[in-house]
Amino acid sequence: MNAPQSPVIHLVDDDEAVRDSLALLIGTIGLRVQPWAQPQAFLDHFDRHAVGAVVMDVRMPGIGGLAVLQQLVAQGVDLPVIMLTGHGTVEMCRRAFKAGAAEFLEKPVDDEQLLEAVQQAVRQHVASRERQQADQTARERFAQLSEREREVLGHIARGLTNKEIARVLALSPRTVETHRANLFAKLGCESLVQLIRRYAALAEEAGTP
Amino acid sequence: MEHGWRSRGAWWLAWALLTAAGGVWLARAELARLHEDFDTDGRIVHRLLSQQVVQYDAVLATLALLAPAADGPRPEQRLPAINPAILSVVRHDRDRPWPDGPHAEALTQAEARSRTLRRAEVAAPDLPQGRYLLVLAAEPTSFALAIDLAATIPWRDWPMDPRQSPVRVRVEQGDRAYTVQPGRFADGPWTFAFRKTLAAQSQPFDVVAERTVGWIELPWARIAGWSIAVGLALAALQAWLRQRAARRRAEELLRLGQAARLNTLGELGAGLAHELNQPLTAVLANAQAARRLLDDQPPEIDAARDAMTQAAAQARRAAEVVGRLRRLVDQPRGPADLQPVALQEVVHGALYLLEPERQRRGVAVHEADATVTVQADPVALEQIVHNLLVNALQALEAAPADGRRLAVETGRDGANGWLAVDDSGPGIPPEALPRVFEPFFSTREGGLGLGLSLCESLAGQMGGTLSAGRSAMGGARFELRLPLAAGAAA
Repeated sequence: MNAPQSPVIHLVDDDEAVRDSLALLIGTIGLRVQPWAQPQAFLDHFDRHAVGAVVMDVRMPGIGGLAVLQQLVAQGVDLPVIMLTGHGTVEMCRRAFKAGAAEFLEKPVDDEQLLEAVQQAVRQHVASRERQQADQTARERFAQLSEREREVLGHIARGLTNKEIARVLALSPRTVETHRANLFAKLGCESLVQLIRRYAALAEEAGTP
Repeated sequence: MEHGWRSRGAWWLAWALLTAAGGVWLARAELARLHEDFDTDGRIVHRLLSQQVVQYDAVLATLALLAPAADGPRPEQRLPAINPAILSVVRHDRDRPWPDGPHAEALTQAEARSRTLRRAEVAAPDLPQGRYLLVLAAEPTSFALAIDLAATIPWRDWPMDPRQSPVRVRVEQGDRAYTVQPGRFADGPWTFAFRKTLAAQSQPFDVVAERTVGWIELPWARIAGWSIAVGLALAALQAWLRQRAARRRAEELLRLGQAARLNTLGELGAGLAHELNQPLTAVLANAQAARRLLDDQPPEIDAARDAMTQAAAQARRAAEVVGRLRRLVDQPRGPADLQPVALQEVVHGALYLLEPERQRRGVAVHEADATVTVQADPVALEQIVHNLLVNALQALEAAPADGRRLAVETGRDGANGWLAVDDSGPGIPPEALPRVFEPFFSTREGGLGLGLSLCESLAGQMGGTLSAGRSAMGGARFELRLPLAAGAAA
């Protein structure tokens, strides 16, 4: 796991007063706010690796908020996006959620509502990034296993005992015992439960017989 | 226009075709009826005459049978007294010759034929005079009757009025004929004829009936009635179609108008919502951020003060948006277009435009003709006058149909010209009078309440006034005052 970053909230609104006031409000709960006056500048320059969320107005000159949202989704950006609008219709709300918005709020927005939505989005994003991170680490460790060790892992995941695995692979139970000890060491697991929870899917994916 | 002519031509053609078809049918039906009547009359005449002439056979047969003695009381000589058609009875005893006379020769020949044929025979017929002799040869005495056809006709049972009837009836033999009834025989497009020989072998005369039917006898009144009915029906159909088209057009316009207005309102609403919501969002966010900053331990007083300053500035911005909107709605036009306008011409134009509305409601209009020229914006003035007239016409819907009156008067009063619209409608309730110029106030069901408000603003922009009150005619009176045009104030 990388060093934990402090989350950043990207605030995209062409109106300076709205931008400043919302930045101030979000800042009161200790979140870092990155204001953007231009949607295009935001798309071009924002930090894709940082955790956080996007708060964006629907109605902006140039490209509108919904178009920005669609571009983010198309580029595989995983930041949750909270859309704000001054003139919300059911149709617009439907389109926003369909495009992948995490939340859709009407201006003027109440602080409780906005801050709750922002915090929720950040928590969601952090959790999703952690899950991604864990997956990444597991993949790297799994790659270090030898062919035979992966076979043994596959059989363990299917619930076979050491003796059964030895019979299937035509090995002595003692050799299986050794592979098993290596597996636990290389994958950094302390229990069978942990091993199966993290690596069963990977072993299945790798296609052990 | 061309389309109009073509369509009108089609209507006339349809009328002409339907009239012609109906006319021909009616004429044929009438001719068929006349022909049938004629045939019936002909048959009746034939039967009546046949019955009459057969009697003479019977009389002769009876005389031959009884054979009254030549030197006896001679009862046969009393026959002419009983039957006026028998002019005389001549007898021919076997041992005596036929009495001398012009017809002795003819009688002798006829008797000879009668003897051969064993039935009575006609002798010396003089059909143009309606006279002939009928001879029956018998033993010992032959008799002959001198018959007068004129007296033979049974007028009592005759099916026609002999003086009025158009039917000519004749009794013919060869080319000689006795005219029973002259008829009105003239050249005509239709001729009916009936010919049948009398049902008495002894008197083989033809009964001939003829009549002509002239154009004048066709059922012209009924044809004209039919033509008028067709015309009325077509006119009604055309009016109905036209009305339906007009109604469709009006509905279409209304729908378009509503759609356009909704679109505009929707656009306006979206824009307005955004314009207002931006500063309101900033106000709310700043105020709430300030409260949070003050709640902090220790409170961040400076940051909170800045936030409140921002909130106040944004509140002012919101107020400016509202002000801009007001100015936009209130003053769509500058006051620069004022020019001399003749009031009565505006009135005349507006009344012309509203003529269909006026007619539909059956409103009687009194229009003033005084010349008053005021300083005004012609478009705004037209709008005001139009609105006032429309209001009056609408108010008159609530008045009884025979009491719908509207008066438009103009005049001058010092430096001002005035125009007054009076109606005989229900008028404005006293409690509503102070409010009629308020926006969104309406006494009319479904009224938007903007018309009079707009009129008053327009009048004010032109330096004039608009006032409402009770009319001497019973309804409402609206009075518009505008400055007289320079040079017109005298």
